[in-house]
Amino acid sequence: MTELAEFTLAEIATAIRTRKVSSVEATRALLARIEQWQPALNAFVRLEGEAALSAAAAADAALAGGNAKGALHGVPLAHKDMFYVAGKLAECGSKLRKGFIAPATSTAVARLDQAGTIRLGALHMAEFAYGPTGHNAHLGPARNPWDQTRITGGSSSGSGAAVGARLVYAALGSDTGGSIRLPAHFCGISGLKPTYGRVSRANAMPLSFSLDTVGPLARTAEDCSLILSEIAGPDPLDPTTADAPAWDLRKTTRPASELTVGISSGFYNENLDADVAATFDATLSTFRALGAKLVPITLPDQTLINAAALIVLAVEAASAHAPWLRTRANDYGPQVRARLENGLAYSGIEYLEALRWRAAALADHLAAIGNVDAIVAPVSSTAAPTIEETDVGAGPAAEVAIGRITRFMRLANYLGLPSLVVPAGSSATNLPIGMQLIGRPFGDETLIALGKAFQAATDYHRRTPALA
Amino acid sequence: MSDQVTQERVQARIAIMSEAARVPLDPESCARVARAVLPTIKRFAAADVAPGFEVEPSSFTAIARTEIGK
Repeated sequence: MTELAEFTLAEIATAIRTRKVSSVEATRALLARIEQWQPALNAFVRLEGEAALSAAAAADAALAGGNAKGALHGVPLAHKDMFYVAGKLAECGSKLRKGFIAPATSTAVARLDQAGTIRLGALHMAEFAYGPTGHNAHLGPARNPWDQTRITGGSSSGSGAAVGARLVYAALGSDTGGSIRLPAHFCGISGLKPTYGRVSRANAMPLSFSLDTVGPLARTAEDCSLILSEIAGPDPLDPTTADAPAWDLRKTTRPASELTVGISSGFYNENLDADVAATFDATLSTFRALGAKLVPITLPDQTLINAAALIVLAVEAASAHAPWLRTRANDYGPQVRARLENGLAYSGIEYLEALRWRAAALADHLAAIGNVDAIVAPVSSTAAPTIEETDVGAGPAAEVAIGRITRFMRLANYLGLPSLVVPAGSSATNLPIGMQLIGRPFGDETLIALGKAFQAATDYHRRTPALA
Repeated sequence: MSDQVTQERVQARIAIMSEAARVPLDPESCARVARAVLPTIKRFAAADVAPGFEVEPSSFTAIARTEIGK
């Protein structure tokens, strides 16, 4: 049965729909694997095994009666513990929301429900999604399936660990400063941070309203596309999605030979570990062999974009949390409290200038990339560091460590660009290394096309960790 | 302008702004926050960005939406 857990989302959805595999069989296979791996990974915060098996049996019965709900009928998933489901806990990795029962269901989860998915439980996350490593003062750290002494990345730490270890076929995460892309990179899976405004954030926990995005972590680019085809598009509950186009599957099949890939030197090549630099070069070679046109580009100053993004994130997060900072500050973990307090340091003028400058920054970016469809860039300068070496408390050392990990993340968040991470190599110590493809606004499908072409030519996405 | 952004000045303004936000920080916390945010404030001040008079925070979405359908 265990091999069922190694199916991709597309494979298991087809197998269930064509009744080659039952939803109950798939659910049992995952539950068996979760039982083996959960003590090592701390990926789930709540498991709903019996309810999932009941839902799977109902899904099988419906299918036998000719009543498939949708493209993901009977597929078991689990999501980061910040996506509300009416009447269920959503504790957001925190003490402050311990026992919080969600009053409504998040639009993204509701749409996956409509497509037929069933729920296995809720996944670990950084406290209030405000940390890039997977540490959590209340829950303990999530652990990397490739080496349990190492970080998963965050804040979608449980999503990264669970998909990486093949405990779920896909999981929703959120990305405000790298929280989908970093776990995808460190855990050896694919992850899509969509264009800002492409996917509704309604009834998902907010962190920074002008940067927050919701997207999938999955095994392949095709699996990410399957999830986006269900959750993308307008939602009256999230005004930023008002003009969001529906997912266009045709664009996900564009051949790489028709696409242009930009290579930015300088900022994105500085201080890379040798393994990451070699993976970057090999990725370019693969795209060249696939017939993509590779062109050098010179991007505007990325250190200024990082500064503006940090101001926006810090102030919006502090604003959202100000009522609790006033009344229950001691209920935050030390590092998250310290990061929230950083947001008190910026003036109103600085915050609004950082927000208003986005228009000019995006225009400059688009002018710099010309007709480039996607920029290839590293996700991080290293493969997964250890939990111990990134457990740096609440002092300035934490800011340095976080800055090193998130250095290549801010562009996509600040400018609202889509970015797809695909596994692209391994370190000398057998840790996964991902690369990100940063696209044009609303060019999410083009990234999927490039990711699918890359994964048809490589096998890094098929590598599975073994439990020691 | 960015040469006026010093640890001492930033620390002093954090004490005032955190008080104004009704999340008063003690001097030790103000010093820690100042050390953490100083590089960001310095970098942003050095750029001296001057968004157009008519530009508002959501203006960037109008530029992003010109890409829909391409």
